[in-house]
Amino acid sequence: MKRGIATQQHTEQKVVNLRDCGEAGCELDWLSSKTVETEIDDVMQFTRFAMQQGWGDGLPLIPPTEARVRAFLGANNRYADEVICHLPPTDADCTVEKIAINAVMAGAPAESMPLIIAALEGMADPDFELFGLNATTAPVIPLTLVNGDIRNKLDIPYQHGCLGGAASMSTAIGRTIRLLVRNVAGQVAGVTSQTTFGSPGRVAGIVFGEWEERSPWAPFAERRAGIKGDAVSVYGTMGTQNIIDTTSQTGPEFLEMIGKSLAYPGANGFSPAMPFAEMMVAINPVWAEIIHRDVPNLEDVQELIWKHASIDANHLTPQHLNQLEAQNRVINGRVFVSVEPKDVLVICCGGTGGLHATGFHSFGSCITQTRAIVPGPEQH
Amino acid sequence: MALGKVLDPTAVRSDDITSPGPDAGPLAGKTVGFRLDEIWRAWDWIAEIWAAEFRAAGAEVKFWRSHQGRTGTEGEKVARELEEFLASIDVAVVGLGNCGSCTGWTIRDALAAAAKGLPTTAVCTEVFDELGHQLAARGGRSGLRIHILPYPLNEKQRHEVEPVAHEYFQGMLQTMGATLSQSKEKVG
Repeated sequence: MKRGIATQQHTEQKVVNLRDCGEAGCELDWLSSKTVETEIDDVMQFTRFAMQQGWGDGLPLIPPTEARVRAFLGANNRYADEVICHLPPTDADCTVEKIAINAVMAGAPAESMPLIIAALEGMADPDFELFGLNATTAPVIPLTLVNGDIRNKLDIPYQHGCLGGAASMSTAIGRTIRLLVRNVAGQVAGVTSQTTFGSPGRVAGIVFGEWEERSPWAPFAERRAGIKGDAVSVYGTMGTQNIIDTTSQTGPEFLEMIGKSLAYPGANGFSPAMPFAEMMVAINPVWAEIIHRDVPNLEDVQELIWKHASIDANHLTPQHLNQLEAQNRVINGRVFVSVEPKDVLVICCGGTGGLHATGFHSFGSCITQTRAIVPGPEQH
Repeated sequence: MALGKVLDPTAVRSDDITSPGPDAGPLAGKTVGFRLDEIWRAWDWIAEIWAAEFRAAGAEVKFWRSHQGRTGTEGEKVARELEEFLASIDVAVVGLGNCGSCTGWTIRDALAAAAKGLPTTAVCTEVFDELGHQLAARGGRSGLRIHILPYPLNEKQRHEVEPVAHEYFQGMLQTMGATLSQSKEKVG
């Protein structure tokens, strides 16, 4: 079988700009954000005020008072004015302080800041193409996949209902990232974002873990970037696509069903507007075990999904086909969801009821980014 | 009910260039570069018609076709091509902002051209007018010249698009600050 080439690596040692004030310790830094006087005891009144300011997403918001923000920062031991990244289209400074303010508003725990920072760093990588994601007519959102023990420490779901519905802190963590995209990156529907329909995931994101203990494969972050332990991977997804299979019994049968279900002309991976795309697939632990039994090599798993995730070129309209042919995307009369099998990204998560897989069609051209989660000293 | 102070969660960039940049001026003897896009055939047809007008006025015309693959090795190739293209022209016409992400890249490429001091005009369709201006401002150049074409456009047949090219040509010259004659007087 054809083998994919090695994926992009991000294995360089991460150096975090932790505070070092000597034995005497530090006083909390001055905060530089503008302050606004408003109602702070009544959440609903504050939420109405925040919506008027353009800060909100429609759900109740916790007032980001200086005391709350300082408490959040104090638990993390990072300089408030440290610039983590620049998020397009605004490209303004995304500082630790802005992250803390938005996290307080979203109700995220202070312990989640290293995870949020790692996710933002991944999203800010030019190869993630957040510039396109934030402006597009598509409903795309950055999905955040978590690996390592931090899944349990932060209550990140990876079993039943992990993509939505499981009660967990991942909702507030995902909401923080979405508020930062709104308030710092400047993504506003109808203004800087032309998203035609949007997506429910644009409110609280999709933050979930891989069920590493049940997965027959190495953790995704390790496979993707050689990072063992706590890590996040961000992936630009168009949403979740359910794939049911109550019939298959063998690994190749499940993989054929998954692959064929992913193949429809309106997916971005088949669009001439996108020269390439990745294709993430979440496989439940029951199927994963069967698949691994019958197809032990993960590259063969990717290849089988890829082979079936293709469309007969003759089923496309002539104009559609002409554009794809001009991009050399037609191979032996078929068009594939990704250019190479290596771009089929397989993960294991979900409940033990099995019966379903989830496809995450990509926006296309945004390359999945994986970053280590580096905790502050009090969080070791 | 208690009043108190909350911290502003938003961030904005503080720098902005409000100038539209240099006029294109008389086009005779200059090289006008069209940035095309692999998605929008209607923009190809319009560019062909405008290019013929520019050539008739004594300009040379170059075309460069962008696409959405701006990441990885493909993205590096596109960035190199864009750099070479901008180095080879005197006036930039950058289109087409006709979807969300492609408006984003249209504006970003136009900002790259303007940053090199080239007389630069981005072209968007009217649904993406505000997005284009918002992105230009967020890119630090709110004064970027943007010419607006009607929408929908790419959904039309060639014989329907050609009149649009002719109808919007004078407006394009005005936005560019360009003249077809040797005179330095601007159109309009």
